[in-house]
Amino acid sequence: MAFPWASWSVRPASGYPMCIDQRHSFTRRACLAALLLLLPGIVAATSWQHEQGTLTLDKTPTRVVALNWAATESLLLLGITPVGVADKEGYAYWVREPALPEDVPNIGTRVSPSLEAIAELNPDLIVTSTEMAPAANLLEEIAPTYVISVYKEGARPYDKAREMLLTLGDILDRKAEAEAVLADISNTLEHQRQRLADHGLNNKPVALLNFMDDRHVRVYTSNGLFQEALDSLDLKNAWPHPGSYWGFSTVGLEAIAPYSDSRLVILEPIRPGLTDQLANSPFWTYLAPVQQDEIYQIDAAWPFGGVFPVKRIAVQLADALVKGGSDNVH
Amino acid sequence: MSTDVQTIRQTTSSIPGKLPLSTALLWFCALIATASPWFGELSPLDLLAAFWTYNGEQYSSVLAHFSWAPRVSIALLIGCGLGLAGAVTQQVLGNPLASPTTLGVEAGGQFGVTVATLFAPALLTFSPDLAAVAGGLLAIGLVVALTWRLGFSPVTVILAGLVITFFMGALNMAFLLLKGEWLGNLFIWGAGSLVQNNWDPFLDLWPRVLAIGFALVLLMRPLQLLQLGQASASALGARVALVRIIALFLVVLMSATVVSRVGVVAFVGLAAPVLARLLGARTLAQKLIWSSLLGSGLLLLADTLAQWASTWGNGSLVPTGTTTALIGGPIILLALHSVRNTHHMPGQDSSPAGFVPVRRSTLIAASVIGALLLAIFILSMSWSPGLTQWNWTPVSEWGEAWVWRGPRLLAAILAGVALGLAGTLIQRMTSNAMASPEILGISGGAALVMVVLILTGTELGRAGQLTAATVGATGALGLLILLARKHRFAGNQLLLGGLALYVFMDAGLRLVMASGGSVATRLLNWMYGSTWLVSEHEAIALLALILALCAGLFLVVRPLTILPMGDTTASSLGLSVGRSRLILLMLAALLTAAATIVIGPLSFVGLIAPHLARVLGQQTVGRQLVVAALAGGLLLAIADYLSRTVIFPNQLPAGLLAALVGGIYFLWGLSRHGRS
Repeated sequence: MAFPWASWSVRPASGYPMCIDQRHSFTRRACLAALLLLLPGIVAATSWQHEQGTLTLDKTPTRVVALNWAATESLLLLGITPVGVADKEGYAYWVREPALPEDVPNIGTRVSPSLEAIAELNPDLIVTSTEMAPAANLLEEIAPTYVISVYKEGARPYDKAREMLLTLGDILDRKAEAEAVLADISNTLEHQRQRLADHGLNNKPVALLNFMDDRHVRVYTSNGLFQEALDSLDLKNAWPHPGSYWGFSTVGLEAIAPYSDSRLVILEPIRPGLTDQLANSPFWTYLAPVQQDEIYQIDAAWPFGGVFPVKRIAVQLADALVKGGSDNVH
Repeated sequence: MSTDVQTIRQTTSSIPGKLPLSTALLWFCALIATASPWFGELSPLDLLAAFWTYNGEQYSSVLAHFSWAPRVSIALLIGCGLGLAGAVTQQVLGNPLASPTTLGVEAGGQFGVTVATLFAPALLTFSPDLAAVAGGLLAIGLVVALTWRLGFSPVTVILAGLVITFFMGALNMAFLLLKGEWLGNLFIWGAGSLVQNNWDPFLDLWPRVLAIGFALVLLMRPLQLLQLGQASASALGARVALVRIIALFLVVLMSATVVSRVGVVAFVGLAAPVLARLLGARTLAQKLIWSSLLGSGLLLLADTLAQWASTWGNGSLVPTGTTTALIGGPIILLALHSVRNTHHMPGQDSSPAGFVPVRRSTLIAASVIGALLLAIFILSMSWSPGLTQWNWTPVSEWGEAWVWRGPRLLAAILAGVALGLAGTLIQRMTSNAMASPEILGISGGAALVMVVLILTGTELGRAGQLTAATVGATGALGLLILLARKHRFAGNQLLLGGLALYVFMDAGLRLVMASGGSVATRLLNWMYGSTWLVSEHEAIALLALILALCAGLFLVVRPLTILPMGDTTASSLGLSVGRSRLILLMLAALLTAAATIVIGPLSFVGLIAPHLARVLGQQTVGRQLVVAALAGGLLLAIADYLSRTVIFPNQLPAGLLAALVGGIYFLWGLSRHGRS
C-alpha cells in the first residue's frame, strides 16, 4: 500500500535538544510542594488539573514519555520528540503520521509498559490516560504524570484530543505550535468541505467501515473521532447507533444493508482475497451502494488517535469522493 | 465404559415420549424465534421460499435469501455436526464429559488459525480448513498420547483435555496480547459468529459434514461393541484401538471443518449429547440421532438469541459462542445430578501404587526449594535487561531497583504460596490429587466476579478487588460442595461443576473479546496476572494477609487429616464436621482469591505445587502444606522473572508463563503416571 503523505509537515523534531535532567524523586517533589505552600510566590511553579489530580511543574519538561499513541501523536505535532513511547512498531504501522523518528526507544506494550524501562529513561513528564489508572501511583513515583483520556465513556474524542494538544502545548511551552496545528486542521477541513460542496457531493450519508473478514465489519459511529471529520465536511454518518466509547461497533455485514441510501467508505487494510470473496457474494452485489458504484476505498487512518487523523481522513475522504466510487474494494 | 453395561439389555426398549416431544418443541421454538423479526416484511410463504429463491426487486427478499436463510441452514448443519461429533466422542471414550470442546479440539483449531494468520496468511486463503484441522489434530493427538497407557480413563482424558485447552488458550492469548491489532478478526472468530452473506459457506460445508457424518455412522457397530468394555470388545474381534483412533480422527475433522468457517462455537458438542441422555436416549443409535437433532435445535436457538441481543444493543455483534456457552453451562449443571459416579478418577485414594513415592525428609526438600527460591530472588534483583543491554545490579544499588523488581516478585511468590496451600487444602478435602482451584473453577468463580466488575466499569481499589474475588471464590467453592456433597466429592461431579463455572466465565470473556478494543486487552492482561501493577505497600499487605492465613492453617491440620476418613469416623474422633469443613472452605477460598487478584485464574500452580510436594515425598498434611507452599512460590517467582525479562521491554503476564510452564509439567506428570 502506498501512503501519500499529506503535504503539511510537522516541525522537524530531531534537532530538539535532549538534556539530561536530574531524577525527580517523590520526596523531593513532596518537599518542593511543602516549600511552595510556605513561600507562595517565590518559586514560579505552574499547576494543571487533570483527570487524576494535579500536575505541578517548576520548569518546562524536556524528557517526555508517551504511554499511548494519541499522546505520541500530540507530542510529535508539537515538535517534541518523546524520549520513549509505548508500542513503537505498532505506531509506525498503524498511525504512521506524524512520523516517529527511528531512534526513539520502545518502552513496552500499551497495556502493560515496562515501568523499569520508563524509569531508566529518566523522564520529567509522563503522558498517559485513565487506562493506566491502576499504575497511576507507580508512574507518579517515576515522574509527574499528565492524565488525559481521549477515549472514555461519555467524552467526545475530538474535543478531548484538542484539549490534550492545547494543554500539552501549555505544559511544554509550545502554545503557538498547538494553535497552529489546530488552525491548520480547521483550514483543511473547511477547504475540503468547500471542495465537496462545489462538487455537490455532501448530500448523501456516508458509512465508514473496516472489513474484519468477509462477514464482519467495524463501523465507525457518531461518538467516535472520525465523526468530527464527517461533521466538518457536512457529511451525515449513515450508521445511526452509538458504539463503544472507542467510537466503533463490530457488526455483521448484513447490518449495513438497511442503510441503502448511503455511500460506503472502506478503510484499508484490505485482507488479501477479500475482493474476490465480495465479488462472488450476491448479497454484496445487491447492496444498493454497490449497485450504484458507491464504494470508496481510502488509506488507513488511525481511528483511535488524537487530532491529526481527523485531518488525514478528511482529505482522503474528499479525494475519494471527488474521484468517484466503484463496485468493490481492490 | 462401565456406565452402560446394563443399558445394553434395554436396546429394544422404545424411546421415552419426552425425547421426540422436547426435540420438536426446541426446533419449533427456535424456528419461530428466528423467523419472527421477518414477519413484518415478508409473508411466511415468501420467507420459506427464501431458502431456494429470491426476488431481486425486493431488498428484504434478497436479504432473507442471502443472509437469513443461509445462517439458519448453517446453524442447523453445524449444530447437527457438533452434536453428532460430541455423541461419538462420548461413546468412544466411554465418557459423559467428552466433547470436541473439552478435548481441546476447538482451542487447538483456534491455535492453528492464529499461527497461520500471523505467519502464513496465504495458507488461509488457500484452504481455511488446513490450519484448523492441523491444530485440532495436534490438540487431540496430545490428549490421546498422554492418556493412551491409562486406557483412556475417562476423567484423566477430560483433565488432559482441559489442560490442553488452557494451554492452547494461553498460547493464543500470548499472541493476542502481543499482536492484538493484527488479529482483530480473530477476536471475533474466537467467539464464534454465524453471520452469513451468501450460500457458499453452506454449500461448501454440507457435503463435508454429510461425508464425515456418514463415516461416523458406518462406525456404529464397532462403536456399539465398545460399550461392552475393552476386554469383551476385543474378545468379540473388535480392534478397539483402531476404531477409537478412526472415530476420534473423524471427530477432529468434523469440529475443525466447522470451526475454521464460523469460529469457535463452544459447548454445543457437549450439551447436546448430555441433553439427549437426560431426556432418555439409551441406545447408541438413539444417542447419535437425538444428539444431532438436539444440537441443531440448540445452536439455532442460541444463534437467534445472539441475533436478538445484537438488535437490542446498538447493533453491535453478540457472538454466538457467547450464547452457546450461556446455554451450555446450565445443561452441564443439570447433568451433575444424573451422571452416576462410577468412574475412577486418577489420584483418588485407589490410585496405582506406583504413583505414591517414598517418604523423604521435609527438611531437605524444604531447604532445597528454599535455596532455589533465594537464588531466583538474587537473580531477579540483580540480572536484568535494560534498554540497551543486560545489566548486573550490585547489591548496593538494590534499594533503587527494589521499587521495580521487588514488590512484583514478592507478590508473585506470595500468590504461589497461597495457591500451593489452597491446592493442598482442596486436594485433601476432596481426597483427590487432581483437584485444584483452577480445575474446579474456584479461581474461575473469583475471575467471573472480576469480569463482571470490569464489564460494568466499576473501579475498585485492591481491597475491594480482594473482597469481590473472595465472594466469587467462596460462592464457587460453596456451590461445588453443595452440588457434590451427596457424592462425597467424587471426580465426575467436581469436574462437571468446575467445568460449568469455567463455561460461564468463558462466555463473559468471549463477549468482551468480540467487542474488541482495549477493554479486551486489559481484561486479558488481568486474566493472566498483572504482577507489574503491585506496589510495595500492596505486596506488604498481601504478605500480612498470607501470614495470617498461614497461622489459621495450624488450626486445621488435624481436621484436614481426619476429614478424608469419612464423616462418621471424623465425628467419632470428636471433630465437628460441619464447622471444620466450613473453616477449611473459607480458608481455601480466601487463599485462592488473594492469589487470583495477583496472578489471574488460569495458572496451574494450585494443581502442580501440591503434586510436586507429593513427588518430593511429603505425605502428611503438615509437610505437604509446607513444601507445596514453597514450591508454588518458586514456580511463580520464576514465571515473574521470565515475564519481565524475556521480551523486554514488552512483558507477558506472569500467570500466562506459569500456565505454559505448569501445563507442560502437568502433561509430563500425566504421561509419567501412565508409564509407571
